[in-house]
Amino acid sequence: MLGLCRNSLILLLLLLPTAVIFVGQGGRSSILVYAEEAGDVLEGEDDDATVDSDEPVADDGAESDLTATEKEEDDTRLKPSPHVDTIIHFVRPNKPSELPAGRLVRLLVGFTNNGESDFVVESMDASFRYPQDYSFYLQNFTTVGYSQVVEPKRQATFEYGFTPSDAFSGRPFGLSIMLNYKDSNGAEFANAIYNETITVVEPEEGLDAETLEKRMQSFFLYVFLAAAVVLLLIGAQQLMASFKKKPARSKTPVEMGTQNSDIDYDWIPKEALINHSPRRTPKQSPRQRRSKRSTGFGEE
Amino acid sequence: MKLVVAAVILTLASISVGQEDPEARLLVSKNVLNNYLVEGKDLTVEYKIFNVGGGAALDVHLKDSSFPTADFEVVHGNLEVMWERISPGANMTHAAILRPTKFGYFNFTSAEVVYYGKEDKKEQKFGYSSAPGEGGIVNKKDFDRRFSPHVLDWLVFAVMTLPSLGIPCLLWYSSSRRFTSHVKKQN
Repeated sequence: MLGLCRNSLILLLLLLPTAVIFVGQGGRSSILVYAEEAGDVLEGEDDDATVDSDEPVADDGAESDLTATEKEEDDTRLKPSPHVDTIIHFVRPNKPSELPAGRLVRLLVGFTNNGESDFVVESMDASFRYPQDYSFYLQNFTTVGYSQVVEPKRQATFEYGFTPSDAFSGRPFGLSIMLNYKDSNGAEFANAIYNETITVVEPEEGLDAETLEKRMQSFFLYVFLAAAVVLLLIGAQQLMASFKKKPARSKTPVEMGTQNSDIDYDWIPKEALINHSPRRTPKQSPRQRRSKRSTGFGEE
Repeated sequence: MKLVVAAVILTLASISVGQEDPEARLLVSKNVLNNYLVEGKDLTVEYKIFNVGGGAALDVHLKDSSFPTADFEVVHGNLEVMWERISPGANMTHAAILRPTKFGYFNFTSAEVVYYGKEDKKEQKFGYSSAPGEGGIVNKKDFDRRFSPHVLDWLVFAVMTLPSLGIPCLLWYSSSRRFTSHVKKQN
């Protein structure tokens, strides 16, 4: 009897906490691990400090609060329509997990209307969220409006583009792309087409064919312009030189010595006259000079 | 033994699921490549078709009837194109050159594409391309006022400035000639 009592007591002790935990779950899917709901805490960095207590009673209270807020949030958030199928394709860059900062990211979204009535696709917007807490917005990108009617059994494509800021390079973000549309009754729907964590990376410098081509073009253009300027300068210099040549020759006469032969030597006494008379031709050689001297010996 | 049988059944099931007839899914983008849309100047429209589905798209017809002939004339290319087959993961590009004949705001709407998603060609799919949106086509006169080389204007300007430059030049030349000829006489 006592053994049975003891066994039942042990069983009760084991079952009671587990039963309490299971009952207290409510609408939660996970049992042991649960994160802080975003609605409770606004500052993101302090989340790591909170520790889940082991007290089942305290947990019940906290959990019920959390489930209540979660339900409120679900009601305000727009849900996708079951008649709509969407598909996303990144045109540039191909892999959305790494986005270059400062470059335009282009993507296409396909929308299929599998329902029976028209849908009007209103707008699409993208946003960067905090990677650990997707309800904390870091940056909102421009909302592009389409207002396109998509008939039943038809598809449509929508293009969207955004540029991650240079200031965000090297950090991970939660990229969330939402497509907003409404049906023929006016009920609003929203589809989160892309909801993943991506990293913004530094754009590759100089390896891209486009940037390389641009750089080459500008480099050669500057070289060409410099060469053209140098050519002009040389041309101007040549022109100045050619203009200066004609007057230069007439303006600076070369000193040739006394050329005139009609110099009056009368006033000089004959003794002072040297043999270097102007009549003497420079062609006279020393031999001729000697012969002249011998013949003209008597004159002296 | 049971394990082996179970494993065999599972693999067969997975193979059959994987070989389910894959479907093609086309995404069509339509873009105007010009920076400026000017009346009387060429306008380039580029169409890109991406097949993001698992199967090939057959008998793809792309038709753009959003440019009324009264407002646009086709210079080069065709606004109706057909591809027999677009493989999964492939993309096709098509371009057409138009010329707007009128200026003002124009709403560039979608082109239409029809294709067969599966090999059996039972179900024809209809899709709209992306629409570039509203664009303004600038008047030719306004565009020329800003961007043309203004050759005639510059020539007229040169002719008009000739008197104000020419008269002092002539005066100086006439007086300088007198001085140079005097020096030559002396020589």
